[in-house]
Amino acid sequence: MKDHIIKKNSMFHDPNKVGYLFIFPSMLIFTVFVFVPLIVSGIFSVFDFDMMGNNIQFIGINNYLRLFGDERFWNSLFNTLYYAIGTVPLQIIMSLLVAMAVSRRSFFTTFCRSIFFLPAIGSMTIISIIWTFLLDNNIGIIAHYLNLLGIHTIAWLQDPVWAMPTIMVVSVWKSFGFNMVIILAGLLGIPESYYESASIDGAKKITQFFKITLPMLIPTLGFVLITSIISSFQVFDQVFVMTQGGPLFKTETMVQYIYHVGFEGFEMGYASSLAEILFIIILIFSVTMFKRLRQDEQSY
Amino acid sequence: MNKKLSVLGIILVFAIGITSCLTYGANEKVVLTYWNGFTGPDRPALEALVDKFNKTNSKIEIKMDIMPWDSLYQKLAPALATGQGPDIVAFATERIGTYAKPGAIVPLDDLYAGSDGLDAKVLPKALNDNMKYNGKYYGAPMNFATLLLYYNKDLFKQAGLNPEKPPKDWNELKDYAIKLTKESNGKVDQYGFGIASKETIPMWPILIWGNGGDFINYSTKTSMINNEKSVKAVQYFADLILKKHISPPVLTGAEVDKLFESQKAAMYMCGPWAVNGFKQAKINFGVAPIPAGPAKTVTLGTGVAMCLTKSSNHKKEVYEFFKYWNSKESQIYWALNTGFPPNRTDLVNDPALKVNPYVVAFSSVANQTQFYLQQLTNFGKIDTDVVTPAMENILLGKMTVKESLDKAAREMNKMLK
Amino acid sequence: MNKSNISSLKWVKNFFLVLLVIITIYPFVWMLVTSFKFEGDIVKFPPTLWAQRFTFAAYHGIWQRIPFLIFYKNSLIFAGGVTVVSLLLDSMAGYAFARLRFKGRNFLFILVLSTLMIPFQVTMIPLFVELFKFHILNTYLGLILPRATNAFGIFMMRQFFITLPKDLEEAARVDGCSEFTIYRKIMLPLCLPALASLGIFHFMFNWNDLLYPLLFTNTVEMRPLPAGLALFMGQHVIEYAILMAGSCLALAPLLIAYLFSQKYFTKGIAMTGIKG
Repeated sequence: MKDHIIKKNSMFHDPNKVGYLFIFPSMLIFTVFVFVPLIVSGIFSVFDFDMMGNNIQFIGINNYLRLFGDERFWNSLFNTLYYAIGTVPLQIIMSLLVAMAVSRRSFFTTFCRSIFFLPAIGSMTIISIIWTFLLDNNIGIIAHYLNLLGIHTIAWLQDPVWAMPTIMVVSVWKSFGFNMVIILAGLLGIPESYYESASIDGAKKITQFFKITLPMLIPTLGFVLITSIISSFQVFDQVFVMTQGGPLFKTETMVQYIYHVGFEGFEMGYASSLAEILFIIILIFSVTMFKRLRQDEQSY
Repeated sequence: MNKKLSVLGIILVFAIGITSCLTYGANEKVVLTYWNGFTGPDRPALEALVDKFNKTNSKIEIKMDIMPWDSLYQKLAPALATGQGPDIVAFATERIGTYAKPGAIVPLDDLYAGSDGLDAKVLPKALNDNMKYNGKYYGAPMNFATLLLYYNKDLFKQAGLNPEKPPKDWNELKDYAIKLTKESNGKVDQYGFGIASKETIPMWPILIWGNGGDFINYSTKTSMINNEKSVKAVQYFADLILKKHISPPVLTGAEVDKLFESQKAAMYMCGPWAVNGFKQAKINFGVAPIPAGPAKTVTLGTGVAMCLTKSSNHKKEVYEFFKYWNSKESQIYWALNTGFPPNRTDLVNDPALKVNPYVVAFSSVANQTQFYLQQLTNFGKIDTDVVTPAMENILLGKMTVKESLDKAAREMNKMLK
Repeated sequence: MNKSNISSLKWVKNFFLVLLVIITIYPFVWMLVTSFKFEGDIVKFPPTLWAQRFTFAAYHGIWQRIPFLIFYKNSLIFAGGVTVVSLLLDSMAGYAFARLRFKGRNFLFILVLSTLMIPFQVTMIPLFVELFKFHILNTYLGLILPRATNAFGIFMMRQFFITLPKDLEEAARVDGCSEFTIYRKIMLPLCLPALASLGIFHFMFNWNDLLYPLLFTNTVEMRPLPAGLALFMGQHVIEYAILMAGSCLALAPLLIAYLFSQKYFTKGIAMTGIKG
């Protein structure tokens, strides 16, 4: 009995404190390898200096003021939002539908699951190279067959209107399988008995979907939504390989622009201020969404 | 059990002792690190030459780190700033200014001085000029390339042209390009003359120079991209593209390579690296000097420079490698194994090079070359932020040639300040 | 809904699935077939998937032209190391954020989440300097440590822990189990499907990464596979056949790992018995 009380008071047993122990290693790593560099980059953003870190000048918020007048910044922000709106909803709906379609275990669905996951495990660089090859308007297989069917094709990746949607399609193709796996894991966690009793009550499939599947999937879907938005705000690899931000900067996203400013122009200070702004934008988005998600999760 | 352990311990101590002796012995060699972006098919020749240097040289060992150029540029900045950079770094000559200005690389005028120094006179003139920044040498030549006109002999025959007579001047070029272009049902099946305008080895500059135009007036530090001759040159070829469809409008370097390799383009300008691929694809092609422009016969030259970083303490050893690399033997080996012309103009008639007629062809125009946007500190920004979009605006029909180049000139002038 | 309706719905569903399979798999078939082509046969018009002749040259060449095994080994150590450590730390933190109450929990979680929002291009220079000061540049430790925990993983584990029923840990607490025992013996086994998929995610993400390991290593002996494959992508010339061969070889372990992880998805179904 005495033992028990002592144990209760130790940190390992106090449910109100033991949480810190669980998160300590992660928080330590984040602090050292993410927050410190982030703060350093925040400090960069109020200085002007050259590549070697010489000729340091304090310039205060000048970099942030400059950003407001920078057309390329607004353009890249717009493109990033466009990309996010164009990919995230499509991706999630597709992942959800596909996950439900393959949730029952059979040879066929296992096969489908593996195939759909393939794009996710391939390297984006290699995949972009392959797609650039397939999408070539002159010698690509897609244009060739469309032409045979009498459909006129254009150089999608070189067209100011179509370049971004093309990148979006490749991105959705690449990541729907990834989110499918997460949603699948969520679907498999919904007790079968819920559906059984609903079936006995005579609920239609569609009603079951809205009354059981969707509410039970909220933690999973919220997660998929928030992480997809965050990663869509940071899209880089596919743009870098397929269009380099062109034509006419129509596919230049924020990270692409940050890269350009930092590593083509060697303006690390300005690049840092752009990144801090991107960080704040994503932070606002995700905090709002996370708060909403927390409310929806209250039932758990 | 304990006995076994102690025996093991003794062996271990000996082993460590021996290996540390060995590594100590090896450390007497000066190890030079060398970063470059020679991924791709030229890498084996580079590695073989460096191996040979390491084997024949008892004092110096070169350790190379080869990675894609864009990774190299990202890695270089933090590495140099922390003193973790290499001794030698290679990059395209147009980037010398970017690194020379903040002092990341150091001048090497003395490399070219003295009787055993590099002989500047044997370098192609434009290559030699662009090893410098602000009048000082910052680079030693690593490679040198020129552009020639590639043309498809089979397609020439089909169009009723003599496959042994490539176009000599712009009039012939225009005439041939139109004859070699085939359209059906509003879709072009074959392009006469492919011109890439982005993510490519620069092609438009050759055409602008050929008409007597240019990009920058270095003495006044102003843009020349909108002067009459530049505008006329761009207009001439933009009309051919937009009205006669001799080339797809906006094209990347990789796309135009594929067009020629799949025999969908009959002519285009490219460097020596493409030869092998077209041979493997069994294309019946020839190479010829770029057709003469109304003002001059000119082609693009490009080069990669090897530079000495500020953090290196081994200037003498680095110089030794630079000299070895630019020796006749090394350059002949390099030329024959990569197809690139040698960095030296005194090898054109060397019997050893005759084995490969392509090398001779690319080498023979070495002194007709001009380099694109050199000796600046912001090459990358001017090229991708100004020149590429200017060409895109024209070729996508968003602006007239004059409007677009005027705009480009205004932007360029700001950056040249 | 009558029977014929249901079965026709099923056919529509299967039709779309098959269509999607074709769209998804085509680039990979292209990749595989291309890896057996002669380099000169790849760029052709009209474009064809198949070729008239095939060769093992690319698979033969890749062993000779790069130290493939060294790259492979490094990738295994780097991606495997990150995966093992990160799974442990992510699931611990995720568990705490889902099921333990402590002051500042939400704030700390947002802080964790915010680490996902920082583009690598921004922190890489300060991070490089840090690793340099810690003397762990060019070591496996230096590669693994900054990636040893991951907000994506923590968030994902949190979402799965949060759905588990409350009474599970209540009972265990009454029995006097420590919180760590509850996490390890009761909660963790219930999250195997999530853990398995997160493991795959961590592994593939790090397995494919090029820039990060390239920045923090200085010698070929420490480089992972993507850095090796990049050696076939020249500035002017891409050697497609050998690059595709390398990509197929790089994809294989990921695919095997994924198929292996499918086993745990069955367990996920079995666990629903507890909840119902």
